[in-house]
Amino acid sequence: MASFNSISELLAQLLFMPMLAFLLGLVMVLMYRKIAARLQRRIGPPFFQPVYDIVKLYSKDTQISHGLIHDIGIVVAVGGYVAAVILLPVPGMDGIADKGGIITLSYFLMIPSLGMALGVGQCANPNGSIGISRALTAMLAYDIPFIIVVFGVALHYQSTSLVGMIDYQQAHQWGIFEMPLLAAAGLFALQGMMGKHPFEIYVAPAEIATGPMVEMSGKFMGGLFVMQSFQFYVASVLYTSLFLGGGANWFEFLLKIFFVVEIPMSISFLFPRYRTEDMVRIMWKWPVMLALIGIAFVI
Amino acid sequence: MSVLDEVFILCALGALVLFVFHRIRGIEKLAVVFYAALLYLLIKMSGLGYGGEVIYSSFSLNILGETLQWRFDAVSWFFAIITVASGLFSAVFMSGKWGESYREKTSNAAYGTLQIALLLNVNSMLILLASGDLLSLFIGWELVSWASFMMMALNPDKQARQAAIKYIVYAMAGAMAFLAAMAYVYGITGSLQYAELAQASAALSNGQIILLSLLFFTGFAIKMGLIPFHLWQAVAYAETPAPGAVFLGAISARMGLYAIIVVLIQLIGLGHLQQIHIPFTFWNLQTVLAWVGALTTIIPTYIALKQNDARHLLAWHGVGQGGYMLLGLMTLNSLGSAGGLLHVFNYATYQAALFMTIGAVIYRTGTANFDKLGGLVTQMPLTFMVMVFSIIGLAGLPPMNGFVSKWMVYRSLLLDGEPLLFVAAVIGTLGTILSVYKLVHNTFLGQLRVEHQNVREAPLSLLIPMLVLAAIMFVTGMMPGLVLDWVASAQLAMGLVPVTYNLGGIVLASGGLDMIWITLILFYGLGVGAIIFYLLGGRAKRVHQYDNYAGGHFLTSRVRYHYSHNFYAGLMHLIGGWYRGSFKKLEQAIVSLVSLLSQLSENMYRSAQPAMMVIIVVVLSLWSISGGIN
Amino acid sequence: MDNLILVVILPLLAAFLMPAMARTSEVLARVTGLMVLFISIIIITSVWGSVDEQAVSYAIGGFRPPMGIVFYIDQLSLLFALLIPVMILLFWPWNKVTHIREYSLMMLLTASASGLVLSGDLFNIYVFYELLAVASYGLVVAQGRAGKKGEGAALAASLRYLILGAVGSVMMLIGIAIIYTQAGTLNLAHLALLAPEKLNNMAGLSAFALILIGVGVKAELFPVNTWVPEVYGAVSTRLSALMAGLLSKLAVIVIIRVLVLLFPQPEALQLMTILGMLGVISGELVAWRSRDMIRMLSFSSIGQLGLVFVAFSIPGDMGLMAGFAVALHHLLVKPALFMLASGWTGPLESLKGAAKQSPYIAALFVLLVMSLLGVPPLPGFWAKLLIVVNLASQAAPVYQFALAFVLIATVIEAAYLYRVVMILYHPNQGQQASVREKHKAFELVIASGAAVILIAVALQVQSMETKLSSMARQTGDRQHYINTVFSKLDLADIYHQNKVQQTDFRSNNQLQGSK
Repeated sequence: MASFNSISELLAQLLFMPMLAFLLGLVMVLMYRKIAARLQRRIGPPFFQPVYDIVKLYSKDTQISHGLIHDIGIVVAVGGYVAAVILLPVPGMDGIADKGGIITLSYFLMIPSLGMALGVGQCANPNGSIGISRALTAMLAYDIPFIIVVFGVALHYQSTSLVGMIDYQQAHQWGIFEMPLLAAAGLFALQGMMGKHPFEIYVAPAEIATGPMVEMSGKFMGGLFVMQSFQFYVASVLYTSLFLGGGANWFEFLLKIFFVVEIPMSISFLFPRYRTEDMVRIMWKWPVMLALIGIAFVI
Repeated sequence: MSVLDEVFILCALGALVLFVFHRIRGIEKLAVVFYAALLYLLIKMSGLGYGGEVIYSSFSLNILGETLQWRFDAVSWFFAIITVASGLFSAVFMSGKWGESYREKTSNAAYGTLQIALLLNVNSMLILLASGDLLSLFIGWELVSWASFMMMALNPDKQARQAAIKYIVYAMAGAMAFLAAMAYVYGITGSLQYAELAQASAALSNGQIILLSLLFFTGFAIKMGLIPFHLWQAVAYAETPAPGAVFLGAISARMGLYAIIVVLIQLIGLGHLQQIHIPFTFWNLQTVLAWVGALTTIIPTYIALKQNDARHLLAWHGVGQGGYMLLGLMTLNSLGSAGGLLHVFNYATYQAALFMTIGAVIYRTGTANFDKLGGLVTQMPLTFMVMVFSIIGLAGLPPMNGFVSKWMVYRSLLLDGEPLLFVAAVIGTLGTILSVYKLVHNTFLGQLRVEHQNVREAPLSLLIPMLVLAAIMFVTGMMPGLVLDWVASAQLAMGLVPVTYNLGGIVLASGGLDMIWITLILFYGLGVGAIIFYLLGGRAKRVHQYDNYAGGHFLTSRVRYHYSHNFYAGLMHLIGGWYRGSFKKLEQAIVSLVSLLSQLSENMYRSAQPAMMVIIVVVLSLWSISGGIN
Repeated sequence: MDNLILVVILPLLAAFLMPAMARTSEVLARVTGLMVLFISIIIITSVWGSVDEQAVSYAIGGFRPPMGIVFYIDQLSLLFALLIPVMILLFWPWNKVTHIREYSLMMLLTASASGLVLSGDLFNIYVFYELLAVASYGLVVAQGRAGKKGEGAALAASLRYLILGAVGSVMMLIGIAIIYTQAGTLNLAHLALLAPEKLNNMAGLSAFALILIGVGVKAELFPVNTWVPEVYGAVSTRLSALMAGLLSKLAVIVIIRVLVLLFPQPEALQLMTILGMLGVISGELVAWRSRDMIRMLSFSSIGQLGLVFVAFSIPGDMGLMAGFAVALHHLLVKPALFMLASGWTGPLESLKGAAKQSPYIAALFVLLVMSLLGVPPLPGFWAKLLIVVNLASQAAPVYQFALAFVLIATVIEAAYLYRVVMILYHPNQGQQASVREKHKAFELVIASGAAVILIAVALQVQSMETKLSSMARQTGDRQHYINTVFSKLDLADIYHQNKVQQTDFRSNNQLQGSK
């Protein structure tokens, strides 16, 4: 970072990477709703619907805050993802991916959840707290297979640097072909990570009064909406970087991430909801088993 | 006279003065000065932390043909600076309002005794850390045990007293294992000097090494509360008066780690442990120890998850965190062992801060029971902030220092290619995240109780050490290189390859860590998040906590609207059955066995026919002498 | 040196004269007793240090050994010759109500005990041992009658003690008889000379076993120690302190003398190890169950004596040194603990909060207990360290077992002793706090004295170590004993008589040296 050039480049990346992530995330949200609609034989929302939603939520009259931590919770939930996407390389922009690597990124992804948990906690509504207790349990469920997958991948590439992994894949072969089992387990964990059906009990979007969102109004809800779009983006880019060789150019990159995110979105409407403990059970059984076998192959 | 002599003289002087004047008011200020002076002397020795020469005490003792000597090397200094700093923070914590209230509740003498206990703990640990041979190590070891016992016995509660008794039995068992190991060393080498053992260990047979390592390790593991000796520690530490818990929680159990470093790594040698294969398995001795560490990260952490008292929850985590340190040390590579050592420092900072926040909560509300707390964030925001900082450290999330050391442990497991150990460590971390959220939620978040409406922020004398610790956590998290200097020197002294690092973190070709960047980016992200939240959209309106969704009901102060009991009901539904208390049952079985044997012996002593017994014994003896045994 | 015999004779005379004197003046009789004790102490202190290099033997009546009666004075016997009057003085019943009979018995105890440690032949040892036994039976019965418990319990205890003691005496006598039939002499030096030839066989070993068990009754050896808890529970703590502290050690010394001089065979040592370690573990186990201070201390005493036996059973000078260290340490600590316990009778639970009432006594108790447990840097630690280190360096497996037993027993010991400490420091006052007996002044003085000595020894541990090792070396040196008792001329005679060839003797010498 010695030269002025690289500093200005980094500053540009700091600005563009989150913005890009946000915009792509919005498109993914739209895609999610469209898929849902098509599966249910509906037309679905118009293209700008996610933007309308955010604007609507932000400009609501009723904006109830239960205190500073409630606000900060939303700030952390969004800000954590903003920071995380800077650790995720996209074509032409590496951000600071070389400073952290995959382990750091995995832990970064827990920060937004913790922020949201703190925010919900201050709402003084037991329904919210119950939701958080479920959310953290769910995190325990999907993070164990996820972390095994991360371990296997890092062991395979002998590196924790995402940039290094992408370079390796582009030079050799995609990770999914070298580690199919780990890739499958990763996809499974991804489903849980995104908090969508069938593992969406902790968000409980359908019963808003009895989930973590119970006291979220106006821009608090809007913040979470923004967070959701980041969530889609991060999950898909991370998976692409680990298994699909990242993107050599933007076209390839976009194709891959939308393809990746499309899979869990399609699955999500095919199954009914799992209870929390059932989710833990299934997550600790199948993906963990797959991932461990995958690691055995890697070693 | 070396600086180490000055340290010992200061210790002796401090103990004497405190012992004589412990009933006098204002002694607490003197104690703070004492710890500060001690810290100053340690800083005078800080050359040790940057690769300096070993400092010897000019005092030595000749007994039983052994020379007892005391010295400080980089490892001792590293542990000593944490010890004395923890002592200083505890002393500051108890020097103000907390001390006054403790005096009112008990008496001047009781408060003085608490001060004495703290001082004895610090002093005995320094003696232990300075030990230069096995015998002085054992003496220091015993002194530490008794000093901790004194501290634990200060709480008059029944539970605390039982815990103290349990502790002393465990500690004694550990000391006896240590003593046996020492005796075997003497039997083999004819000496108790470190150098002799280091020399002799190269020539020992595998069986001897296993026996020695097992005995030594048992002794040290009990102090550290490693599996399967983890039962005593949490209750004993938790029930100690707050400043005692701060100190014991932060550093006391790490004396076990220090002894493991000295004996198992420096003297017997990790390479040696690695060569010894356990029969009928793929494992060697080092793997076994690493697994002890891994299991220690998991089991106590999940016991912590079930606790319903903040102090107990924290103390159980203290036991669990010890597992990371051992795991790191047992990875054998420079990164992992550095991570294990760094974790000692990091853990001390956040564990001390956490016990202080709970101490402050108890000071204000009188309880640490999760069922009787909640919503205190509006009343004690700074304490809450310190707790959030510390739990981020404890859970090992960026940007606090706990993340750095855990990262190093994970990274080294990756380098070694140890998937199962890695997963075990991660399971431990995830459990920690769950349980620290429970901690912060059930004390500071949720609904504020009516009786706590008038609770105020903790007084300044409690806040200052907490805030300073939080600052240390943050700064050393952002710039771990500050502490890694010391760690690298300690590694050199241990005979390991020091880790390569810079101010911001670890330098590694295949993916390093730079915390300065990561912290900056995180704050950048939070800044963006704040802009999105605060600058855009309408103004949020603050509402009262009773102005809340309750399915159509109106909330009043009479309705308790709070979720804290059985916090992870769903998870417990699944894993609840795994808490079988097997170790507890094992412990009870041993007690029952002793009880049975004791009863049998008593029956013997009560026998109505003593003369018959004499004759039987004579016959038996004659039989045995005449070759019956052989 | 010649007037050392007064140490035995004066108390013996006093014992018989005191009842007669008491008819005219009780005060005079008591003062006489005290005077005798003081004189004994003065005599011994006057020769203190003179045997550090070379032990001295003294033939009584001018007959040359092996025919005449011999006193053998080395560091060990001199130390105990001093300790006996000092301890008796300390536990002297300083009051008017005690019957003169008891004073007289105390004097008899002094005389026989002194004779026991100074005697150089087995027959005299047996005689003095019997006298000692009689004196102690008398004291127990006399005390038992005035005991605090029901008369029946005291009587039963005395009876058990008596029966066991009698059986023990018979065993000892049989053992001595076997030795005599084998070697034809009872002079220890002479026996030492003949032992490698005459006693190194089955008969010799069985003689040792019989003596060990016979004397073991007094030395609280497992399993002939079943009298201990009942007797200590029935008599006054003063007497229990004396018996646990002093009398048991005297019996141990007899065994040590016999062992060192006559039976250096590994079988003999290992028999003692086994009995010792069973004593350690059983004593501590029962003490763990006890719910009464005196009873607990009695069983702890059994355990400690077991430890003493284990220590002495380690071959070589280091074993002796370890044994002396433990024995002397116990001699110092246990009486002091008994003294403290005398004010704390009744169930342990009733002692709740006793520390608040008497903080000084509780602190003393903690100090003594810590030394008993072997907490560094108190003397008990060094004693335990000596045992443990030396046990570990022995090759025979029985010593490894003993090591494990000793260490496990220490853990149990810590559990019950610290339970008591926690009870003493209990925050709540017990129910009977007001009716609890007060400690008497002399009890506190003794306990404080013991504590002061403990601390002094802890500070002077290096010089204590040299003292003990020199004592152990002297005690363990068999040839030294022989050479001291017999002049060159005597030796020539003996060789002539027994037709032992000079060369044999040399080879025995070498045998001894190689041990």
